[in-house]
Amino acid sequence: MPAYIQGRNVNLTFRPPNRGPVRALYGFDIDVNEGEFLSIVGPSGCGKSTFLNVLLGLIRPDSGDLRMHGKPIAGPGTDRAMVFQEFGLLPWRSVQHNIELGLELKGVPTETRHNVSQHFIEMVGLSGFEGHFPHELSGGMKQRVGLARALATDPDVLLMDEPFAALDAQTRDLMQVELLRIWQEARKTVLFVTHQIDEAIYLSDRVMVMTKRPGHAKKIFPIELPRPRDYEMRVTPEFNDLKLEIWHALKDEITI
Amino acid sequence: MSELQAVDANISTAAPADDLEAPPKSLWRQLEPTVLGVGSIVALLALWEALPYLVTFAPGTKLFFTTPSQIAGTLWTMFATGTIWAPLSVSASGFALGLGLAIVVGLPLGVLIGRSPTLNAMLDPFITAFNATPRLVFLPLVLLWFGLGLWSKVVIVFIGALFPLLINTYEGVRNSDKLLINVVRSFGAKEWDIARLVVVPNAMPYIVAGLRLAIGRAVLGVVVAEFFGSEDGLGVMMVQAAGQYKVAVVFAGLIVFAGLSLVMTGLVQLLEQRLTRWRPQHAAEY
Ligand SMILES: Nc1ncnc2c1ncn2[C@@H]1O[C@H](COP(=O)(O)OP(=O)(O)O)[C@@H](O)[C@H]1O
Ligand SMILES: [Mg+2]
Repeated sequence: MPAYIQGRNVNLTFRPPNRGPVRALYGFDIDVNEGEFLSIVGPSGCGKSTFLNVLLGLIRPDSGDLRMHGKPIAGPGTDRAMVFQEFGLLPWRSVQHNIELGLELKGVPTETRHNVSQHFIEMVGLSGFEGHFPHELSGGMKQRVGLARALATDPDVLLMDEPFAALDAQTRDLMQVELLRIWQEARKTVLFVTHQIDEAIYLSDRVMVMTKRPGHAKKIFPIELPRPRDYEMRVTPEFNDLKLEIWHALKDEITI
Repeated sequence: MSELQAVDANISTAAPADDLEAPPKSLWRQLEPTVLGVGSIVALLALWEALPYLVTFAPGTKLFFTTPSQIAGTLWTMFATGTIWAPLSVSASGFALGLGLAIVVGLPLGVLIGRSPTLNAMLDPFITAFNATPRLVFLPLVLLWFGLGLWSKVVIVFIGALFPLLINTYEGVRNSDKLLINVVRSFGAKEWDIARLVVVPNAMPYIVAGLRLAIGRAVLGVVVAEFFGSEDGLGVMMVQAAGQYKVAVVFAGLIVFAGLSLVMTGLVQLLEQRLTRWRPQHAAEY
């Protein structure tokens, strides 16, 4: 049986005007199981965001086969939603109306929209901030809005592109705990791109290390740490062994 | 260790409690700008009113002179007897129709050109050439084609107001945030939704600035059309009054024009405040 998300030999080359072509994905293969939390780590510019955008349906690959539920990805769809690194909130919309964006575009009636956004506002801990505008929120709060917005359309797959990179260390730790709680509650399939090996291990069922550009999977590490996971787990020998293994796989790809 | 923490705690509670309150301003500090502004206007008007008593005019030159009280009296009579309404409504309709058309055409066209490279390439030469030409040179043609009635005025106003709106909208649209466009696309937005949800709100500060320019150009259009090629309107009234040395009437027309411009600018300001409530307060200064 094919995997829930299956990519075979996906290739994509950017051809910007006035500059040379950039090969971003080359022979990219991936298999993701339903309900799985899969992290992707790789050197900067190796094509991680590009792959998420291809899976989201924003960019069409040049060749290869990428399917979800056995159906080829043909464009954006409500079965997938992205949490963007730079939040991507509409600055002229309140918290509530940002969260309702996807529902609005789906044509969900106002009252249902309101109930759904209220539910997710509570889930991500933003009660009382419904009417605030993005510039009035901290980075952590903005990313909660981004998360709630992605969850509100009830996608099967959540794509997260370095969602916590812009947050300070403490907020990031709290958001990780929060994300695991939400993931366990909502049972989504999550593809999570990060620069932090710690974060990848702590959250994931498997961690995929990518090669440098043009990117493809180099090695996949199953993370067999028990769940629910807690913060103390990060100082266990098992955790540190995994961290070292992944670091070794990653470091050969990094050129400075 | 615990000692260190205790010291830290002492430091962190030391902030004064009334930190957030702005220091109170004295009454004079609050009123100063208003008092100075109103005061200088009053002083200037008083000086002007007193001028005939201070200097003696050469014989005949008194014909060209008027005083604030005479102007006020003339304005009062015009409004009280209703003689102002006919020319005012003629000018106002030319202004409103021309500006309205410019908005209806300029905004959508600006969005389309900003979003479509094809349309941009096709129309850019025309827009650049048109915009580089002084609007006045179209006047003879417009008068020839549209006559001396309302429509020639509407066309002159339209030509003047269109370009600031069109060009500003275009610039604003070109400055759209690519990330936000991708965000709404990822939720299934088509081109119409992208324009509605991202492109137009994003361009709003540019559009409002364009509107402010357009209002200035529209008033200018009314004045020019009425000075050089109309049968009715405030401008015509002013030209005729000047021919008959009714200087107070000329000034009255001028004041009505200025008042119209001020009211329109105020309306735009209100609009701007309504549309940009989501912005950080200080950003309004940029
Ligand atoms: N729209 C684009 N046009 C041209 N080049 C691009 C574009 N988007 C990404 N790239 C290039 O493709 C490569 C992969 O980018 P990206 O997927 O963003 O990397 P990352 O793994 O850091 O997320 C980089 O070299 C980047 O410069
Ligand atoms: Mg990236």
